[in-house]
Amino acid sequence: MSAPVSAGAVWRRVLPVWLGLMALLALACAAAYAPLGPWTVAVSFGIAATQALLVALLFMRLDSASALIRLTAACGLFWSAILFSLSLADVLSRLTRT
Amino acid sequence: MSTRVAESPASLADPDELALGLPESYLSAGSTLGSWLTTTDHKRIAILYALSVTLFFFIGGVAATMVRLELFTPQADLVGADTYNKLFTLHGVIMVWFFLIPSIPTTFGNFLLPLMIGARDLAFPKLNLASWYLNVLGGLTTTAAVLAGGIDTGWTFYVPYSTTFSNTAVTVGVMGVFISGFSTIATGVNFIATTHLLRAPGMTWFRLPLFVWAMYTTSIIFVLATPVLALTLILVAAERTLGLPIFDPARGGDPILYQHLFWFYSHPAVYIMLLPGMGIVSEVITCFARRRIFGYEFMVYALVAIAVIGFFTWGHHMFTSGMSPYAALIFSFLSFVVAVPSAIKVFNWTATLYRGQVGFESPMLYVLGYIGLFTVGGLTGLFLASIPIDVHVQDTYFVVAHFHYIMVGATVSAYFAGLHFWWPKFTGRMYPETWAKFAAVLMFFGFNLTFFPQFIAGYLGMPRRYHVYPPEFQVWNVLSSSGAAVLAAAYLMPLGYLTWSLFFGARAVNDPWNASGLEWRTTSPPPRDNFFGRPAVLGKPYNYHPEGAEPVHDQPRMPSQGSLT
Amino acid sequence: MSDPAIATEALLREPWDGLKLPEEQALSYQRTGATFGIWIFIASEVLFFGALFLFYTAVRAEHAEAFAAAARETNIVYGTVNTALLLTSGLTAAAASRASEHAALIRLTRWCLVATALLGLAFLVVKGLEYREDIAEHLVPGPGFKLPEASAQLFFGFYWLSTAIHGIHLMIGIGLVARLIVIGWRHPERIPGNPQVEVTLLYWGFVDMVWLFLYPALYLAGRSG
Repeated sequence: MSAPVSAGAVWRRVLPVWLGLMALLALACAAAYAPLGPWTVAVSFGIAATQALLVALLFMRLDSASALIRLTAACGLFWSAILFSLSLADVLSRLTRT
Repeated sequence: MSTRVAESPASLADPDELALGLPESYLSAGSTLGSWLTTTDHKRIAILYALSVTLFFFIGGVAATMVRLELFTPQADLVGADTYNKLFTLHGVIMVWFFLIPSIPTTFGNFLLPLMIGARDLAFPKLNLASWYLNVLGGLTTTAAVLAGGIDTGWTFYVPYSTTFSNTAVTVGVMGVFISGFSTIATGVNFIATTHLLRAPGMTWFRLPLFVWAMYTTSIIFVLATPVLALTLILVAAERTLGLPIFDPARGGDPILYQHLFWFYSHPAVYIMLLPGMGIVSEVITCFARRRIFGYEFMVYALVAIAVIGFFTWGHHMFTSGMSPYAALIFSFLSFVVAVPSAIKVFNWTATLYRGQVGFESPMLYVLGYIGLFTVGGLTGLFLASIPIDVHVQDTYFVVAHFHYIMVGATVSAYFAGLHFWWPKFTGRMYPETWAKFAAVLMFFGFNLTFFPQFIAGYLGMPRRYHVYPPEFQVWNVLSSSGAAVLAAAYLMPLGYLTWSLFFGARAVNDPWNASGLEWRTTSPPPRDNFFGRPAVLGKPYNYHPEGAEPVHDQPRMPSQGSLT
Repeated sequence: MSDPAIATEALLREPWDGLKLPEEQALSYQRTGATFGIWIFIASEVLFFGALFLFYTAVRAEHAEAFAAAARETNIVYGTVNTALLLTSGLTAAAASRASEHAALIRLTRWCLVATALLGLAFLVVKGLEYREDIAEHLVPGPGFKLPEASAQLFFGFYWLSTAIHGIHLMIGIGLVARLIVIGWRHPERIPGNPQVEVTLLYWGFVDMVWLFLYPALYLAGRSG
């Protein structure tokens, strides 16, 4: 581990991430009121995904985690993708038919 | 090194260890109730689970008996429509969530997984104990729902009936299942972490016994499917108790979405019930055919493939639900795909028997029965995966027969195979073999007599979940109910003679079947810490070659007379 | 981890102590196991909330206008303040997790744990204020609901349920952090290097992430136009 030993070293690692997250929050809030039409959903959830990625990588330290743990996290996403894609295959194709 | 081991396994042993008298087993580590209820020993927790699972099996069995008794005649003579609905719901809920899902993983898995990989315990022993308490709490909650008037929705809790119309104790029932879900997730987390981190030196992934692979793949399903069910049950409970609109079609809700969420869990749950049995079959069939498993790597890939592809097929339960036909087409195709690895397993087991020195001891009889019943159940599954046939037989006894062949015929046979195979290891006692053989054969015939007629009745159009039926179906129902009586006898017999053996059975030696796994390299029953010293593994599992030879043991043998119980 | 002040012996648990490893290595391996275990659980939780968001996605696709109209009724001020509170608690949690690796940073660890729990409580207080306002505005589905379209109630079905489930997760997180605070108060030597610190704070991080997706789902839909 690239051991930070002083309190300052700990904060230097995490504070910039927090600033980035707060900036993204402000951006998301502003973008929600912007006239982006159908892109609004993509932008707001895209920002959320970016924030979640930052939290996972830098707060929960997936960036320095072992391959096994990254794989575990990826499994959660992959299986969610199965759930979403096959369920929505039905829901969306039902919608287009009616 | 390895040739020396082959010549004389005992040459590896520490002479001091061999000179030990009878070692102390896990059973003698304390006999008070408190010592059992606070234990963190994976073996004792397995015994706790065995007791609770057996209790729930017989609760579910009583309900099944009532159902079959009612169906003996076409009229309603024993129970009315409402009671009948509650009976088959009770049977389904208890059998699925409190017997079939936990049965093999929490008993055999808990007991054997650390032994088979050469570990001292599971990774998180306290979590393991907590999972038993959650399971019992869930089971008692669901049983309380029965006492509070029962549930009449069927085990599937389909909305909007379960949320809007049913006047029965649905909320309490689903909360019981919800609680037990945490129990299975905890077990899954424990098994995965244990398999990854606590394997003995030399126990590489491709030296794992197939039972361990089966537990590992089952745990993946536990962890990734169960939370979806948990959330779905919360949605049902919230809609019922808080009146929140979730699936209510009157307010724009989508009941088909409920079925997606439910079957995203419940179809993989079929593989939760199936994969552990496949693991047991692989252990038993190699031992009694004295052969190395045919195509070990492909058996592993097949287990993994079933676990993963099993998540892609849930829609075949919904072909007639109003789901989009495009989605139905995709699900039908994917359901055919999952049959491939299942077929690989059946072919490889059969090939394992080829030129083996097949013995017909009771565990092997159960396993041979398993292969037959699983094949019938699997092939009729292909009927149901093809949309035109499914539309014809949806909600008939054909479906009932199909899933009972898989979940009862196959899985329960495997459960009994494992119970007999490892009974000497669990308890240190031998059971009466003649009785066991008789029960195994009786179970096979009783099962087929019960459920094969249901294929015919179903194909002829008899719908499921009715307490009355047209008289032309009576012949099939009489056959089925008679078979159920035989089956009940076959299930009760082991309860009798296994209990008898606890007190009067002969002391088991450490390796009564001359089997090859690590769990046989310790005493019967094993000591608290499982092994004397830390085992190391030098070769592949199922070391039964060459033909007729004794298996090659990696480990020093313990004194063969078992341990103090 | 060669930090001499880490109380290895007090932290080692069964069965990791029986691996015939030196104590420090065994503790490090135990920590690997604990981290792996909580990540498996988090993957499981991803599916749990995944199912909840699937419900949202499907119903929003089926009733896009009603959802936009209903989402405009939520109070974006409360939502944004709460997001900021949770992100800040994520900051203190991450700092506590990193500081807990070093016995020299025990004070920082403890203060960050306290701050994390307090920020979590602040979130719940704001949530409570928001609930009170929602109830006053008749945003509880059922008779007398504020909006005329029936399917707008679906959005608020999701709103109440998802915030309640997230709130329960957060309360569990606060409880776990509070437990660490108590341990650190009674036995300060048991905090540095303790695998439970990282496990608890990983769980906290996950609860944060869930909210990051609930925020656009509940507060940002239907604001423009």
